[in-house]
Amino acid sequence: MPLDDTILTTNNVSKTFGSKTKAVEALRDVSFSVARNELCILLGPSGCGKSTLLNIVAGLEDPTSGSVSLDGEIIHGPSRQRGMVFQSYTSFPWLTVFENVEYGMKLNGVPKAERTERAEKFIELVHLSRFRDAYPNTLSGGMKQRVAIARTLANEPEILLMDEPFGALDAETRWHMQEMLLEIVETTHTTILLVTHDIQEAIFLADKIVFLSANPGRLKTVLDLEFKKGAELKSKEDLIALPGYLECEREITALMRAEAGKSEEDY
Amino acid sequence: MTGTIGQSTTPDKISGVAKRSMADTSSKTPRRRFFEFKKDIPTSWSITLGVAVWVSFFGVWEFAVWQQWANDILLPGPVKVLSALYTMFADNGFLNDVLISVWRVLLSFALACAVAIPLGILMGTFRTVEAFFSPFVSAWRYLPAPSFIPLLLMWFGAGDMQKLSLLFIGVIWFLITLITDYVKSVPADLIRTSVTLGGNRLQVLRTVVVPASLPNITIAMRQMLAVSWTYLVIAEITAADAGIGAVMMRAKRFLHVDEIMAGILVIGVLGLMFDFLLRQVYRFAFPYLEGRH
Repeated sequence: MPLDDTILTTNNVSKTFGSKTKAVEALRDVSFSVARNELCILLGPSGCGKSTLLNIVAGLEDPTSGSVSLDGEIIHGPSRQRGMVFQSYTSFPWLTVFENVEYGMKLNGVPKAERTERAEKFIELVHLSRFRDAYPNTLSGGMKQRVAIARTLANEPEILLMDEPFGALDAETRWHMQEMLLEIVETTHTTILLVTHDIQEAIFLADKIVFLSANPGRLKTVLDLEFKKGAELKSKEDLIALPGYLECEREITALMRAEAGKSEEDY
Repeated sequence: MTGTIGQSTTPDKISGVAKRSMADTSSKTPRRRFFEFKKDIPTSWSITLGVAVWVSFFGVWEFAVWQQWANDILLPGPVKVLSALYTMFADNGFLNDVLISVWRVLLSFALACAVAIPLGILMGTFRTVEAFFSPFVSAWRYLPAPSFIPLLLMWFGAGDMQKLSLLFIGVIWFLITLITDYVKSVPADLIRTSVTLGGNRLQVLRTVVVPASLPNITIAMRQMLAVSWTYLVIAEITAADAGIGAVMMRAKRFLHVDEIMAGILVIGVLGLMFDFLLRQVYRFAFPYLEGRH
């Protein structure tokens, strides 16, 4: 990967929680990078610290050692450059869909006319125009996540961080959301770093999979998904029909099981 | 993973079956029983039952008076109490006393809120603010407000200041504690969302913490306003020349039990009115919560 194409890098990020006497090592020397316009997936078994790593990238937590840099500059604390979509529903219930999407731009002093235009564009992009003036309380889980995605994208971050964004949704809604995310990537060319433990989701969405091992979280391998190169994936069915898909899923499942087996006493 | 693959082949069929079976159960209405575990009842039932309890209460009361179970000076009938209430309002200027009491409650409560709401919000948001104030607030919470009455009487005499400060002390500590807890329960992810969208501390406080906790703050106010009425009566009974409690104590001196009961009735009605009012405020101010409460 050419260096100028890199947007985000983590350099030997380590994280230890707790006191000196009862310390829990969550991450050890994790280094990887995300290229511009890439959809990078952080995958690994539970306890591999992938969510912690994402929080560090977001600036919500500080690494114990190591650093994260965006566009070559070391990050300190959260900023609008690294917008985050959470697994829990984070639409503000007292704001309508439109006001939710407009929210981030309002914080950053975007003028009203531009705010309205951008909000409307991204509400359209996530197919929620019909619900523009609805309160989140009246929306389904999938729709709430779409609001969160539109809100973050409308704020024009350098990179979109997603922490198991579809984890709380039922299977059918999850497919729709995954397909919609690929649609969005195609039109907006957003760089995305997404955490998941769902192997199929990872293969379907990823340009690149960063696989972490558990206890403590370390970089195990980076998968480039050669079999997907050049294929146009519109739906889950396209993916499953692709030669090499099953082999890839089998490989990652084996990786996952090997890691999970290491910490069997945890279950 | 295998679960999702299996489902993907026949999603329509599965949901179709589920819908049909649901329709089947709802078409058969089983015979309704009077005692049913945790089951909703029709509105007509709850209205009838709600009226029935009051009819029984007044019925038993009137019956007891008619049967002369107690001296009728000590136990006047409901009709006598209502006519005493009428006389009090029409001839004795009771309205003035009611207004004085309402004013005492509202002013002291407004002052308590003016302190408790900002402080509770800050304590619930910032652990440092909480660590500073919490030991102080908790200690005061365990001191019964009426124990300050002798002190307040010496400081402020029997005037309004003594009443207002008792009512203030009576609710402020609980109000702070309740609001702090409610603010603490604002989901962390809402705050983290705002921060990763570029919100600074003041913006997060103003656009997330405050609006997210306002509905619960209103609930805390409703709960503590009821307590405020309790302290009002205590304050007015111990020393006062005006107000509902003072009128009741004067009535006691003249053995006017009907007037005492009328006073109790008025306090009850006022309490219900304010509760209803705050309920309406809640519904009006937070329309987005419709259907959740």
